[in-house]
Amino acid sequence: MALWTTLTTPLIRQNPITLQILGLCSALAVTTKLDTALTMSVALTVVLVLSAFAVSLIRRHIPGTIRLIVQIIIVASLVIVIDQVLQAYFFDISQRLSVFVALITTNCLVLGRTESFARSNPPLPSMVDALGNGLGYSLILVIIGSLREFLGTGALLGYQILRTTDQGGWFQPLSLMQLAPSAFFLLGLLVWAIRSIRTEQTEPTEHEAPRVTEPAE
Amino acid sequence: MIRGLWDRETVALMLLAAILPVAVTWLVIEGPWALARLGFFLLVAGLWHVLWMLARAQPPSFAGALTALALAMLAPEDLGIFALVLGTSFGVVMAELAFGGWGRNILNPATVALAFLGFSFPASGWPGLAIPVGWAVIPAALIGAAFGVISARLLLGALAVMALAALAGIPFPDKLAIYGVVLVLLVADPVTSATTALGRWLNGALYAALALMFAAYWTGAHPVQLAVSAALLTSLAAPLLDEIAIALWLTLRRRRLG
Repeated sequence: MALWTTLTTPLIRQNPITLQILGLCSALAVTTKLDTALTMSVALTVVLVLSAFAVSLIRRHIPGTIRLIVQIIIVASLVIVIDQVLQAYFFDISQRLSVFVALITTNCLVLGRTESFARSNPPLPSMVDALGNGLGYSLILVIIGSLREFLGTGALLGYQILRTTDQGGWFQPLSLMQLAPSAFFLLGLLVWAIRSIRTEQTEPTEHEAPRVTEPAE
Repeated sequence: MIRGLWDRETVALMLLAAILPVAVTWLVIEGPWALARLGFFLLVAGLWHVLWMLARAQPPSFAGALTALALAMLAPEDLGIFALVLGTSFGVVMAELAFGGWGRNILNPATVALAFLGFSFPASGWPGLAIPVGWAVIPAALIGAAFGVISARLLLGALAVMALAALAGIPFPDKLAIYGVVLVLLVADPVTSATTALGRWLNGALYAALALMFAAYWTGAHPVQLAVSAALLTSLAAPLLDEIAIALWLTLRRRRLG
């Protein structure tokens, strides 16, 4: 039961992207197409789960002073393996993901989970927590990736759903959706939607608008 | 700020009154088609204002009509209803209503909507404005400046750069009417332009300089795109211009008073 909570909490309630605003760089960069977003999600989830497992196994032996270096070495080794696997079996997609798979090493999300959870919990809960966070990250990437590919090209996973005007249909693709700013817009709208439903995520207001009244006579 | 009669809606109505010469000239020249177009944009913008009033108790503003007029005059002509509704909604909601309504926004909703349409549909057909519409900008600017709703300093800043360019022999872009309409409708918007005296001079000057530069070096773009891009960058820079003006004032004051 506790494991189930660990797994489901990061999906929406503690989502790493929409609540903690971590791992944005890759989330914005790889979501122009759904297939790259999916590949990136899988790569990050695998790295996250395995590094949480490794860090959790040796958690009692990591000296506190150099723990970040140890964690980065573990994460970096796993990232290199994943990168090689992608280049060997999915060369085309790994070309389009360019540096972003390698940059998983510096993803705040991975270090955040190993540092805050795996370092002080046994392997099984650590892996479940890592899987939950990976799935939460993947959920947002898939939503934004599908919206951007669908609105930007009228296709999903390369399969044409709406025929664009170039192909004789009626759909005018929004080129803006293939540019980086649209990822910010969509993410902002998503955060807005989530926080209107789950009002406990709303941050306290920093500024109180002045009351508008008629001045004294 | 409320001072006597002058609350937000008075400013919005005065702006509308100032823009009337441009609007009427445009409507007379373009005929019923333009009237239908204006009605469409008024409907979309007004619908969002009413929705936000119902959802968030945010009072609707006559400034929505200014947005609708700017979009009716400058939005691409060959786009479908869906694209136009999307662009207008993006500008009105994301640039104006989400910030708390007209007066609290940092970018002009029409500028944002036009930039959105420009980036989304790069190949769309932008409208050209007839030359009389350009002439109508002059009475509009004079009325606005006389009643204080359009900053005279901003207009003079733009004119000063134009005069300098003329002296230096830099050619003016063609379709000046479009740049004029964008100046009074989008750049001189009292909410999103600079608010310090020096900042307003710089604001107008920056718009004119950017417009001249884009016209000279940005090939293949329609004048509306050039003018709207210049307006967007200028309103993004407006807080910086104010900051410069305030820093300069503080430095001078410190030097004078020790």
